[in-house]
Amino acid sequence: MSGVRQALLSNWFIRALSTSVGQKLVMGATGLLLCGFLTVHLVGNLLLFQGAEHYNKYAHKLHENELLPVAEAGLLVLFVLHIILAFSTARMNTAARPIGYREKQSKLIGGLLIQPHNYMFVTGVIVLGFLLLHLSDMRLAEWKMRLPYDESMTPADHALQVLRDPISATVYILGSLVLGFHLLHGFQSAFKSLGLNHPKYTPFITKLGVLFAIVIGVGFASLPFVFFVLKK
Amino acid sequence: MSATLDLTLKIWRQDGPKDRGQFKTYQLKGISTEMSFLEMLDILNEQLNHLGEEPVAFDHDCREGICGTCSLMINGQAHGPDHKTTTCQLHMRKFHNHDTIVIEPWRANAFPILRDLVVDRSAFDRIVSAGGFVSVNVGNAPDGNSVPVPKVNADKALDAAVCIGCGACVASCKNASALLFVGAKVSQYALLPQGQAERAQRVQKMVAQMDKEGFGSCTNTSECEAACPAGISVVNISQLNREFLRATITATT
Repeated sequence: MSGVRQALLSNWFIRALSTSVGQKLVMGATGLLLCGFLTVHLVGNLLLFQGAEHYNKYAHKLHENELLPVAEAGLLVLFVLHIILAFSTARMNTAARPIGYREKQSKLIGGLLIQPHNYMFVTGVIVLGFLLLHLSDMRLAEWKMRLPYDESMTPADHALQVLRDPISATVYILGSLVLGFHLLHGFQSAFKSLGLNHPKYTPFITKLGVLFAIVIGVGFASLPFVFFVLKK
Repeated sequence: MSATLDLTLKIWRQDGPKDRGQFKTYQLKGISTEMSFLEMLDILNEQLNHLGEEPVAFDHDCREGICGTCSLMINGQAHGPDHKTTTCQLHMRKFHNHDTIVIEPWRANAFPILRDLVVDRSAFDRIVSAGGFVSVNVGNAPDGNSVPVPKVNADKALDAAVCIGCGACVASCKNASALLFVGAKVSQYALLPQGQAERAQRVQKMVAQMDKEGFGSCTNTSECEAACPAGISVVNISQLNREFLRATITATT
């Protein structure tokens, strides 16, 4: 076992990835790339508000793209890396302080009453649960794990069926808002992990991160809210 | 005008590294608000000596806020409620009459408790030994201005070099990460000409040693910066991240 470990660690890339700093770098990079995915995904989703035909046209065009499997594979790699590293760094962090304080108070001035940075792992796990349900509803709909599905449904019919399902709608609304909360810290933190922290542009990135988190959280939650809660 | 305080102290007592340890409660009366926090503990220890009890062990040396020896988690805050202040420079006027003060040691796997409030911070020394120095032969002193150092860089390097190595960053971090300390050490050399020759290996070796000591990773909460008595900025952490990325890409090993 230690022989395998040593052989692996002789590779410069794996050695860098095995360090806490290297893991956080990759965590930040994958996080930001996933933010890019979220943006595209949200724009696509919002077409549903424009009308079924717009959404269907977009969905068909997307599914006909020959490079879609490549993009999906890339997305899977990003998610898997981000999740594995979350567990890896969380384990490192718990081991770093086996006995906690009886009393712990922040010295930070300002900030939210509940600081997003203290709940990154918890919010991440909640988002993972949301993601798994979402995948079973949409990407793996043909498996009919929970909801009925047949080939004749248009993408918009299918999306609306999922969004009007009480379980999916509830999880999606809560999951989207938790994702927004995760991004409230994640977006600006990713830049810092990548080494980008400067008095010149960090204040802008911080504000942009808050805006991005709100747009993503509220944007995704708006779909199940409109179609399930408001029954449009 | 000086007032006096009556205080309840809840202090972590632990006989040695293997002992389980527990909190003990002590009452103090008539503590002057002019006293420093450590002088208040001195009074407690005199009382304990008087009663034939073991005094509370705590680290202290210069009592001028420059050596980095004092520590203490006071009511859940590293070095107490003040900002940019070490425990020895904290004064009792920051507290109120009849306050209960909880005093705990730094808690981190890499800082094992030796006794009561004293922890072993030699992990920091080993990180510095791993690369926090310049070992190349730089020859005679060069002529003035022959090695240009931008004023901004000189200032930033000095800002990083004021770290006193107290460990408040680790103590206050929810992950017990040492990245502010290591970031300060790495930045200080990366910004100056003397540090260039060993720039890549330095960050790699120091990060490797930091991980080996069992410190956590960085979540960018900036809690360390808020707790730092020397005012070290978290931009040093990003500088370290940049140095690490640069070394990973450019170093031959």
